[in-house]
Amino acid sequence: MSAEKTEETAAAWMAREDRGLTSEEQDALDLWLEQSSLNKVAYLRLKATWHRADRLAALKSMRPPPPERRVWLPRMVFAVAASLLLIAGGVIWLRPHQPPEQVYATTVGGLKEVRLVDGTRMELNTNTRVHANVTATGRTVTLDSGEAYFDVVHDARRPFTVYAGNRRITDLGTKFSVFRDGDDVRVTVREGRVRVDILKNTALDTPLVAEQGHQVITKGGETLVLAKPEQDIANDLSWRSGMLVFNQQTLSEAADQFNRYNTRHIVVEGNARKIRIGGSFKADNVDVFVLLLHRGFGLSVNEQGDRIVVSH
Amino acid sequence: MAEQPIDQWFMRDVLPLEPMLTRFLRRNWRIEAEIGDLRQDVYARVYEAAQRERPILVKPFLFQVARNLIIDRLRRQSVVSLESVADFEWLNVSDDKPSSEAYVAARQELRLLQVALDELPPRCRQVVLMRKVEGLSQKEVAKRMGIAIETVENQVAKGMRLLAQALGDRRGSVTSEARRYNFFKRPRDVR
Repeated sequence: MSAEKTEETAAAWMAREDRGLTSEEQDALDLWLEQSSLNKVAYLRLKATWHRADRLAALKSMRPPPPERRVWLPRMVFAVAASLLLIAGGVIWLRPHQPPEQVYATTVGGLKEVRLVDGTRMELNTNTRVHANVTATGRTVTLDSGEAYFDVVHDARRPFTVYAGNRRITDLGTKFSVFRDGDDVRVTVREGRVRVDILKNTALDTPLVAEQGHQVITKGGETLVLAKPEQDIANDLSWRSGMLVFNQQTLSEAADQFNRYNTRHIVVEGNARKIRIGGSFKADNVDVFVLLLHRGFGLSVNEQGDRIVVSH
Repeated sequence: MAEQPIDQWFMRDVLPLEPMLTRFLRRNWRIEAEIGDLRQDVYARVYEAAQRERPILVKPFLFQVARNLIIDRLRRQSVVSLESVADFEWLNVSDDKPSSEAYVAARQELRLLQVALDELPPRCRQVVLMRKVEGLSQKEVAKRMGIAIETVENQVAKGMRLLAQALGDRRGSVTSEARRYNFFKRPRDVR
């Protein structure tokens, strides 16, 4: 059989495998693969390509997401269920049983999506802890540590407020992300607007409104607002799909990023700290990252317990 | 059948060398239509040899196999006199450092894939995009595009072949690497 024909058959098998094989099909495939090494290598070649194409998923975070559909059904089901409950319970439980304060947390390397009772969606990045207080009159989330992205269901009567360090971020209809490291806070606005103000405010303090594409960086009492290109904002939020995207960052900055996601820490020594790198990486795959450093820059990599020392 | 270690080895260590191998074959084999056959034969030989014993240095081994295969074919065709072939020290390569192109940086890899993706025919491209970028299943893709699942399956098959071709056929930036393996041009070494 010509290579062309073999490849054609191999592709048909791989496509079927990609769709999901029945056990009979699996047997037939195994048989075909056993028949000849030519079959085997043609199949492996396409398989490797197809796996390689998984990398394309990284494009997702860079593309505008598809228009979001409102999910009516669960709410309707909820409403019907609630009214049934009311009838059954003889109108005893008027208030939904919901403890006022909820705590959500992730460990190092974790990524978690949470839907609050008001419909607001939160995504928690690595090593993050928040507590949320959603009541009939107000909605507050306190970011104790780490980073969280908010896709807020706007409600003018119940402002949505995030507390982080000495800052208060108030939603004005938006999607944004808040990162906190002690009192250093960074707010990234993907859509809409937020108001950022300082808590121990003096009379002179005026609240600041940040819009789509803005990043607000605070340190103590100082506040810096950056207008960033869309791509940079997307890169800053790439953690939502488990990726870290670098664009000319120094190696030491990149290592700091990786170290947020992993218990094994990269330590960059000497001049290697200043090397600038680009690329997108899976946040939890330190091994591949250091391997590329080794191969790409000829850096030496030494594992010492939980430390991975990278140097010239 | 579960993936065997040798399969993983083959995909990880051998297949990334494809662009270089393709260039080598092209340079040493005139008939373009036969390049695909040759390549597959090289792979099958490498795979079979590795089943017996895994080569320590992958790259020199791969090119050794390619060279032998070409010689076999020439011999069968008796096109060229081969007296001098044994003198070609063209595989005097001791290092097995990964070539810079075998392991492309993540960003470059993404760009390569993106270019390959963009070159697919429109419908095929749409299917691959939904499957790989959006992460939808074949079934979901069929539903979203309003086409039969068999059509999706066919497009997936077509897409992966075209991607494999585009990625393995890259006319590369790192030609010097391949040039080192050009045995018809390599000067004779003195033993």
